[in-house]
Amino acid sequence: MRALGRLIRVREVPVLLGLVIVFVGTGLLNPIFFSVSILNDILFGVAIVATLAIAQTFVIVMRHIDLSVGSVVGFTSFLIGDLSSKGFSLGAVLLAALLVGASVGAVNGFLVAYLGLPSLVVTLATLYIVRGIFNEVGKGQTIVESMVPEELNWLGLNRLFGISYLFIIVLVLMVFAGFLMHRTRAARDLYAIGSNPSAAGLVGIPVKLRVLLAFTSTGAISGLAGAVMLARFNSSSTQSGLGLELLVIAACVVGGVSIAGGTGSVFGAVSGAVLLQTILMAIGALGIPQFWQLAVNGTLIIAAIGLDRYLSTRVKSSNIMGASS
Amino acid sequence: MSASSRVVLEIKNAVKAFGGVQALSGADLVLYEGEIHALLGENGAGKSTLLKSLAGVHRIDSGSITLNGNSFQQGSTRTAQQQGVAVIYQEPSLFPDLTLAENVFVGRHLQTAKMVDWSKMQLEAKTLFDQLGVDLDVNRIARGLSIADQQIVEIVKALSIKAQVIVMDEPTAALSSKEVERLFSVARTLRDQNCAVVFVSHRLDEVFALCQRMTVMRDGATVGSDEITNVSEAQIIKMMVGREVSELFPKQPPKLGDVVLKVENLCSSGQFAGINFEVRKGEIFGLAGLVGSGRSEIVRAIFGVDQYDTGSVSVHGVSLPKGSASKAMAAGIALVPEDRRQQGLLMPYSIAKNTSITVLQKLIRRFVVRRKSEEQVGLKWAKTLQLKFTSIGDAVERLSGGNQQKVVLGKWLATDPAVLIVDEPTRGIDVGTKSEVHRLLSEMAQEGLAIIMVSSELPEVLGMADRIVVMREGRQVGTLSRDEATPEKVISLATGAGALR
Amino acid sequence: MTNLSTPKNLLTWDKGVVLFLVISIFIGSFASEYFATASNLSFVIASIAEIAIIAIAMAYLIIAGEIDLSVASIMALTSASVGYAFQAGVAFELAVVIGLVVGLLAGLFNGVLVTVFGLPSLAVTIATLALFRGLCWVLLENKPVNQLPREWIDLGNKNIPGTFFPWATILVVLLAGTAWFVLHHTKLGRWVFAIGTNADASRFSGIPVNSVKLGLFAFTGLMSAVAGVVYTLRFASASPDGGTGYELSVIAAVLFGGVAIAGGVGTMWGVLAAVLSLGVIKSGLQLAGFSANALLIVSGGLLLISVILPRVTEFVRVHRSKASTIKRTQ
Repeated sequence: MRALGRLIRVREVPVLLGLVIVFVGTGLLNPIFFSVSILNDILFGVAIVATLAIAQTFVIVMRHIDLSVGSVVGFTSFLIGDLSSKGFSLGAVLLAALLVGASVGAVNGFLVAYLGLPSLVVTLATLYIVRGIFNEVGKGQTIVESMVPEELNWLGLNRLFGISYLFIIVLVLMVFAGFLMHRTRAARDLYAIGSNPSAAGLVGIPVKLRVLLAFTSTGAISGLAGAVMLARFNSSSTQSGLGLELLVIAACVVGGVSIAGGTGSVFGAVSGAVLLQTILMAIGALGIPQFWQLAVNGTLIIAAIGLDRYLSTRVKSSNIMGASS
Repeated sequence: MSASSRVVLEIKNAVKAFGGVQALSGADLVLYEGEIHALLGENGAGKSTLLKSLAGVHRIDSGSITLNGNSFQQGSTRTAQQQGVAVIYQEPSLFPDLTLAENVFVGRHLQTAKMVDWSKMQLEAKTLFDQLGVDLDVNRIARGLSIADQQIVEIVKALSIKAQVIVMDEPTAALSSKEVERLFSVARTLRDQNCAVVFVSHRLDEVFALCQRMTVMRDGATVGSDEITNVSEAQIIKMMVGREVSELFPKQPPKLGDVVLKVENLCSSGQFAGINFEVRKGEIFGLAGLVGSGRSEIVRAIFGVDQYDTGSVSVHGVSLPKGSASKAMAAGIALVPEDRRQQGLLMPYSIAKNTSITVLQKLIRRFVVRRKSEEQVGLKWAKTLQLKFTSIGDAVERLSGGNQQKVVLGKWLATDPAVLIVDEPTRGIDVGTKSEVHRLLSEMAQEGLAIIMVSSELPEVLGMADRIVVMREGRQVGTLSRDEATPEKVISLATGAGALR
Repeated sequence: MTNLSTPKNLLTWDKGVVLFLVISIFIGSFASEYFATASNLSFVIASIAEIAIIAIAMAYLIIAGEIDLSVASIMALTSASVGYAFQAGVAFELAVVIGLVVGLLAGLFNGVLVTVFGLPSLAVTIATLALFRGLCWVLLENKPVNQLPREWIDLGNKNIPGTFFPWATILVVLLAGTAWFVLHHTKLGRWVFAIGTNADASRFSGIPVNSVKLGLFAFTGLMSAVAGVVYTLRFASASPDGGTGYELSVIAAVLFGGVAIAGGVGTMWGVLAAVLSLGVIKSGLQLAGFSANALLIVSGGLLLISVILPRVTEFVRVHRSKASTIKRTQ
């Protein structure tokens, strides 16, 4: 526990601090903001990005990136509705979503791990290939409320102790994933790979296998996130998920999951997502036109990257006079 | 180590060649359990290759390595570790974002019921650190650790895999005296736990303070091995240096001209301070000292690739703005860098393209850089330097080290410099090309070029330089003229031996 | 990742792309009778004009070892700036100049973050992708500017009299020609290649690496701005979501054109052939009745092939040399 406490103290402080400042600051300027219902709206709205951010953490800590998540989640949200309306059970459609996501992830992972291709380019390509396939399969149709499985509809509408079930799902996933990231060797290897890629192989870590599994997991969870998306919007179309990957990466970076790899937690990723969502609502509450949201997000990411870089170069190893040339 | 100690490691007649360069030509090493063993020899004597073979990075071509009586499995760092051999490099490679405890156990985290057990790892790591008498917080991340502390972490890692042979490769180069003391105490603890510790160092005072036995290597072979108490510093130096200085190309007396380069009070925090010297036309000015004494940092600062804090550099009396290599080049300075492959050459490029990269401006006719001109420049210098090549369009990575160095020299001589700085000009080069390079530098000096030579190879510095300035830990500690300079004096200044006694 | 392609390899890739282009044109002609018509060719050229312009600059940037994902956003920001200024009463010519300056500044912004602050270009330009696009929304909200001067719209859409080349072709040809010349025949071009091959060694050879990189980012911003103006005129509208996703087409074209993602290798010919190929494929697919999705899939596929192929050939080459080494030592 103390180790956990220590970790949190350094990396996640900026985002949590940011959350407090934004929430309190906005509330002071517009007291309506200080309501429980606003808080619940935030948690409801953030569920999709938060889920994807948890998944993205697996690859970012390895110093990779997965840009295909937006296409995957959009696709599976559509798929779930479509298959469901054709009579498949909830279990079956969720499995299908998981498999689709995992397959895309596995392809990404294979190309990155075994062919050594840069993850940026690979996932940029799969982003478009999946979106293209999605568009073909979807043929411009829309999933309407009647096609959404009852259970998902219910989850989207109801709350537990005032918190939307969708966010409860996020919390459960976060705790589970957080546990894995902290207590399993396989996950700790991911951090080592991101922290020092060249040394990781030398200490006996099966790097290629880990990378493949990480990307597959990210894909799988992104696939399942389609259920969350469908529950949230009660609809889906071939536009679903467009541009989502940007928000997801923003959430991670802002939440302390460093682009340079080796550090960060799913708790931070979720916090980052919540912060972004809070800012979105704060913009509205402060009377700032919604149109500022994207620009603000972009600035936040730059600030987060800059802060990250500053923190990591500030503590240089002190080579006293006589450092090797 | 007692009279009844058993032999842990025995290397017999190790031979290894890289391309045309003979790195090991009959090296022997015998290690007993419970001893600290010094491995001595100049740069290029073969220590590094021998140790890398032990670490699993290389395989020796012939000879035998026996560990605890069994044949040692070579060729893989992992199997080397599994057999109980750990090497602590001068620049350890830890995982900066992981805690020290995790760094110790990375890749083999301790588990309870299939789950990583942090408290167990913390406890064991703490115990090991305590055993060594080192007080480090096992829960802090590795980023920001001083090199000294990083080494300790590596040692703890070695202990946790129950290493029997722990090699420390020039560990004290970047350490303060206090950290050196701590490292010694750690090494003694390891010895008392019956490890065999190999201590590679140039600093003879440290060797005498710490080690029980020693082995000296020269030109890839072992030239002597004995207990420390049986030898004197002078004897060791003689074994290390051995070769007669006069074997080198006989140097002409210099025709000295005006001062070309003047360095005044140059300081760069954390790297060097108070550097003052002048170099004249026709002079070969030697910068001697141990690896890590700051010489490369100084010449990089003069050339403008690195910044410096205070002081000045002037060429022909004109002050040179700092931090700009292009301005330094315009003023007539050229630098043949230390790292040939990473800094000196564009490896995938051809000989012609590498040679011409510094003089592109001169090759422009009617707004176009002429490819023919690039080839001409390449050919011209290849001929002048007697480069061995097949076609001028061949990629330089195909050439031998010696020929690659010639390309670097050609590229810089093409700029017609007033001052040529060469940093370790013959490192990793075969003997034949080595003397060619020396001859060339002498000739250039005769023709009026001012040369600054940074070198860790004593015979080279002593044979080539008209004046030698010795550096230690970032400061100038002595100036010797050609007549005054002897190997003993240089080493003594470079290591500070004798100063502590 | 080191790039070990010899000049010989590159010629092969180059030739490959041109061959691909020729084959695509053939297939296109067979796929539909409308393919080889003047109006269609005009359309093809018009549709790739913006991508070509940005790809020219992106090629330089990737060869130098950097990347810029915000180009489509800079394009849109320029468009938004032009529209905003014009709507505010500024003369259109001046509005265009303002737009170009905005693009240049955006590129400089990227460049400063990378060269002065040392931030990784990939991450930074993902952020500025959002920032610049966000500024478009701030400028125009969701009200696109559609009232643009007639003469300018004509310039953006009509062909050069007597030919099937849109006016924009002149711009593309001029820029491409100059870019080709500079890249392959001047000192600056040599520098760009050297920096992408080994920035350290370049620095040690006296090349002002940071200044060059800063300039390349600014250049990319400027070219994205030029593309933005062309785009605005072609669609006769300045809207905040214009050009979304263009960065993919640009990067796909550049990589498919033979520029290595690790830097240090590439030719302008290859890039232009790749851009044209994309246009041809797009047109062919459309005429053959495929939806726009097919193009997405194809672009993605081409991108993948562009990075997989070098790996495969390297693998084969290493194996072949290993085999011959074994032979030699036997």
